[in-house]
Amino acid sequence: MTRFVESTITFPYKRSLGPVVGAFMTALTERRILGIRCDDRVIVPPLEWDPATGRELPHEFVEVGPAATVESWTWVPAPTEQHPLDRPFAFAFVRLDGASTPLLHAVDAGTPDAMAEGMRVAPRWRGTRVGRIDDIACFVPGETPTTEGEDTGASEEPVTRMDYLASITYRNPVPAAADRAAAASRDRRLLGLRCPVCNEVYAGGKGYCPIDSVELGPECEVDLPHTGTITNFAVVTPVQYPGQTETEPFARVFVLLDGTDVIIPYATVFELPADQVRVGLRVDAVWASPAEEVDDAGGMGGSWGSLLGWIPNGEPDVEDPDLVNRIF
Amino acid sequence: MAAAPTAGASPHDIAVVGWAQTPMVRRTDKSETQLLLDVITDALTPLGLTRADVDFTCLGSCDYITGQAFSFVSNLDAIGAWPPKRDSHVEMDGAWALYEAWLRLHEGDIEIAVVTGSGRSSTGDPSLIYPMEMDPYFLAPLGADPLTFAALQARAVIAAGIADERSMAEVAVRSRGTGDVDALLAEDFLRPPLRRHDVPPITDGAAAMVLATGDRARQLVERPAYVTGFDHRTECHNPSYRALDDSPSTRIAAEAAGLGDAPVEVAELQAAFTHEELLLRRVLGLGDGVSVNPSGGALRANPIMATGLCRIGYAADHIFGGGNRALAHATSGPCLQQNLVCILEGRS
Repeated sequence: MTRFVESTITFPYKRSLGPVVGAFMTALTERRILGIRCDDRVIVPPLEWDPATGRELPHEFVEVGPAATVESWTWVPAPTEQHPLDRPFAFAFVRLDGASTPLLHAVDAGTPDAMAEGMRVAPRWRGTRVGRIDDIACFVPGETPTTEGEDTGASEEPVTRMDYLASITYRNPVPAAADRAAAASRDRRLLGLRCPVCNEVYAGGKGYCPIDSVELGPECEVDLPHTGTITNFAVVTPVQYPGQTETEPFARVFVLLDGTDVIIPYATVFELPADQVRVGLRVDAVWASPAEEVDDAGGMGGSWGSLLGWIPNGEPDVEDPDLVNRIF
Repeated sequence: MAAAPTAGASPHDIAVVGWAQTPMVRRTDKSETQLLLDVITDALTPLGLTRADVDFTCLGSCDYITGQAFSFVSNLDAIGAWPPKRDSHVEMDGAWALYEAWLRLHEGDIEIAVVTGSGRSSTGDPSLIYPMEMDPYFLAPLGADPLTFAALQARAVIAAGIADERSMAEVAVRSRGTGDVDALLAEDFLRPPLRRHDVPPITDGAAAMVLATGDRARQLVERPAYVTGFDHRTECHNPSYRALDDSPSTRIAAEAAGLGDAPVEVAELQAAFTHEELLLRRVLGLGDGVSVNPSGGALRANPIMATGLCRIGYAADHIFGGGNRALAHATSGPCLQQNLVCILEGRS
């Protein structure tokens, strides 16, 4: 039975808005909706260019709305966490008064029976507006704009940037070879898989040979040594992006296992300051204690399970000018 | 803009000589790389070829769907990339990978290319992933999802008299080979005017296709499917600015590919939603004599990033089986934003 692991990736984007979208977003904080003139048309939401020709448009903004006419709609009976409303609503193309193009937004109409092409709607503004399209909480039936709760006013500065948090949860299968490698690591075994065609050995639960494109099953397993030599490394100075837990410079090393051609990539090195990591250093494997929780989901670098990293073993350095070339 | 090479301008005939697809399933236990290992072998083996014979590869896949940055790097393990190969990748359906391989083969210095399309849609929730690929300022923050856009386009297509709920249900029944139109129309709406039968399944799968030039193609198979026309065009990204009851990019691509030069017997259209097939038929001017989506189309299996390439594969099958001329169409983006048309022909 294949095991699946769930992981959530978040990307906290900060988007520059530019002169046209920025003006639109700034106006939203003032509870105004802007279009841009494009020949005899008014494009809403505004673009920097004519969508038909790509010609750059002069920054001639036109206030539209606030009321609008529903041109087309569909009903969302079960909103997702990304949707603007947490109850059933309509997504609609609404054409703001004075606009030549429709804007996609939510209409809070209660039931689909209340929706119709040609119906009139008006924005319901959020009390606190930051310069995002969802400063308009939604549109509601009628001609008169409303504001939710206390109005905290317009932005004092022009809005130039927009936050957008993308977050996706994935459910991926763990390949059988990765699972076997992780399971063996709990017994302090470093498992390799030997390709029957080219004889190359792969570690980290890579269940196929990338040279010969054949799957490597349990019959290909070999035990690998727990001692090796650092062939190359990088010292990473952490940038404090969201999710980064490191604060001090740290090393990632590549280890060539003794008597093999196997490289363990992107590994952690323990009890050695980052500025003392060097090519040729002799290291031993460091294993998690049996009680320790380890990440056994694996990743692009491989599935290492209880193999936490490497530690200098005190042996003399290896002097070999070719060593530095071994990262694969 | 430099003109793309047109068929006839090159001294080299370029043909599809074979293709393969994985089983199309709701959720596979295999990684994308494993899917590709299988399907590339399955495409090459019947031709008597190995990976060593392949001069160029182009893989189509999408990191957003896989949930791994640079996922195509892992996928390279499936092509046998040692000694180093000429390789490329498109973050698009494999149909566009095929377009790049076709361009590359026009250079005339190589003979065999393999292209793939691969995706595991089951890895995430498409209704949550695709809004993030929309316009980042006006659409993504609203969670504007593919069903919403499809429903709004369906309404436009119905309003234009190109489709109605019954003709859409008929497309579903014909494509899936199952169901009763009246019974389907009695079902509740999923997103009005769309019902469950109007929308595609979520499918995991991959496809691989082999292209060969000139004499090599004729040595490999008795009846190569020659690519005699190939073009793709795109429209503005945000559906707000488009007429949703039309598909000008499809029309222009079809004209450029030479659809009008001779009749086609088969048209494989990447129509994930029933109304899209009816709109595309209208825009392409396909009459009742053309067999549309005999494969069942995207309504039967919709392996995102491979669905378009499969259309070209099924069109090639028509030629391999003795047919003379077939059209394959692929699309990308909300409401048929970008469209590709490929014409395949057999020769006696």
